[in-house]
Amino acid sequence: MSISHIGTVARLELTQRLRSVGWYVLLGIFAVVLLGVTLLSFAVFSGQDAPGAGVYSVVVNLVLLLVVLVSPTLSGNAINGDREAATLAPVQMTMASTGDIMLGKLIAAVATGGAFLAVALPFLAVALLGGGVPPATFAVSVLVLAAEIVVVAAIGVGFSGIVARPLFSIAATYLTVAALVIGTLIAFGLGGAAIRTESVSYQRPWDEQTGEPVCDEWEEFPYEVPRYDLVWGLLAANPFIVLADATPVEFDPNGYPVDLFGQLKVGVRAAQHAPIEQRWDACSPNGQQGPTPEQMVADSVPSWFVGLGIQVLLAGGLFAGAWARTRTPARRLPPGTRIA
Amino acid sequence: MSGIVAEGVSRSFGAVRAVQEASFRAAPGRVTGLVGPNGAGKTTLLLMLASLLAPDAGTIRIDGIDPVADPTAARRLLGWMPDALGAWASLTARETIITTARLYDIPAADAASRAKEMLALVGLQGLSDAPAKVLSRGQKQKLGLARALVHDPRILLLDEPASGLDPEARVHLRHLLRRLASDGRTVLISSHILSELEEVVDDAVFLVAGSVVDAGVVPAGTRMWRLRLVGGAPDRLTADAWRVASALGVAPESLGADRGAVLVGFDSEDAAAHGLRRLVEADIAVAEFAPAQSALEHAFLNLPSAAPPNAVVSDDEEAGA
Repeated sequence: MSISHIGTVARLELTQRLRSVGWYVLLGIFAVVLLGVTLLSFAVFSGQDAPGAGVYSVVVNLVLLLVVLVSPTLSGNAINGDREAATLAPVQMTMASTGDIMLGKLIAAVATGGAFLAVALPFLAVALLGGGVPPATFAVSVLVLAAEIVVVAAIGVGFSGIVARPLFSIAATYLTVAALVIGTLIAFGLGGAAIRTESVSYQRPWDEQTGEPVCDEWEEFPYEVPRYDLVWGLLAANPFIVLADATPVEFDPNGYPVDLFGQLKVGVRAAQHAPIEQRWDACSPNGQQGPTPEQMVADSVPSWFVGLGIQVLLAGGLFAGAWARTRTPARRLPPGTRIA
Repeated sequence: MSGIVAEGVSRSFGAVRAVQEASFRAAPGRVTGLVGPNGAGKTTLLLMLASLLAPDAGTIRIDGIDPVADPTAARRLLGWMPDALGAWASLTARETIITTARLYDIPAADAASRAKEMLALVGLQGLSDAPAKVLSRGQKQKLGLARALVHDPRILLLDEPASGLDPEARVHLRHLLRRLASDGRTVLISSHILSELEEVVDDAVFLVAGSVVDAGVVPAGTRMWRLRLVGGAPDRLTADAWRVASALGVAPESLGADRGAVLVGFDSEDAAAHGLRRLVEADIAVAEFAPAQSALEHAFLNLPSAAPPNAVVSDDEEAGA
């Protein structure tokens, strides 16, 4: 293991990428999209005292979306792409160890994802100037975003070392990332709706002569409720949920979240609560007061570290598998693998 | 024992036995040719020598070092030029060599001068700043050679280094290989172009169906000699053939024809010398008399062709398996 070798391998990867025009076009398009989204977000959050918080959260989520959408293409063929181009073996023949090559490629993939964050920096700065973003929100969200960039990069590099064909490893990376982003949502939605329990809703009976409610009796209406509180854990490994759940949330005086992180977080945390008894009292003019979003979040438990832990295990496992497969002298070779 | 020593090296890919019990030596200071038909296992053998592929059985020593147990030490000594040449498409020739030098722990300051030196050595100095993707096949081949030589390796493994080179570059390569060997390096080179190999190699290792065949047991067989009489031309070939046949006492139909010259088969060099004497004694004016095949080609074509089962695989498939 040598810092110099890792640096040389990472530089080699990045140099080749930096010399392709397509890469700059991609970053340019991203900047244009960010500009549009930032302007729209300012319009959306203009009603708030400090619109910066909302805009900031939208831009950070957009960077994460781009990382999730584009990173697999850039990291998913790091190793097998080099094998196909016959450029891996000449590096393996040098003093660079398998670890140097693996880490160099991971760093290059992380730096590529980081480039999207770098392009977004001016927009984040504008959002921060808009006000309302506490230092803790800024620090945690950027750290979690960085962690997600590393996770997606490691999944891509991992598959590229395990799967022989670049096409399939890129597809496998996309499918894995999609399983985290969309699959968790589908599992949550279907799971919660599939598990239903009996619940009862209470109402006052109505006096047919007077048209007034009967205030000393309750009428019972049984019905089935979906139990999202039993499957909320499925959402834990979703990158967007991890980001929102980890980031400290600010509430306005009415107990409502001020940014997108907070809205997502309230949604996930609310799912933790078992369905509450429905009691609609026509005799009580104030009706029933439910808990505010702030109270709901306060009564729930965080899940982001579990989700991030699952992601790290997944990415680490794939990366370790690729490391073992890339080791030379090679003993067992998966079918279709080229050495040189 | 320095140089390359392989003892009983075997490697299979699934059911395909690419290399079986191969044993040979390549001595320092000499150029050793690795000769064999397509699919004989040359590339697989070179990958094992290059520390990239582990043998299933047998031992390999690179200047006394086992590349399986200590690949890093072996790689310090090894310069390897693969048959499928991968160049980093967007890097210039100079950057390619500098990057490789850095990966061999050559300090950044020395790497640049080393790159200049290597590119001049292989004749690419005019293209130092050209990206590899614009280089021709032959130029890429030269770049691959420069890359293999950057860390001053003691042992060179070259897989088809001459393919794609123009005639001048081939002559240059030949001189370079001779010079590298005369410095005391071990040079192992595989090639299909036997006439070329013959001009550069000191020793030859024959690989057939994954096994090394002792060149000593290659059956002698009849070797063709090319004989041209003074003024020999296609239109008077029949007359020449008749004169030669009567002087040698053979049937004119047994002689072949080759661009105005007659092809005569002799069982041995002694028989050829004896035949020439008889021609001269018969007062026939001989302008050219030489083997029509190189010795290597002759030996190669007379290799036992009875291939063991499972051995019919092309070189590409087997390297990729």
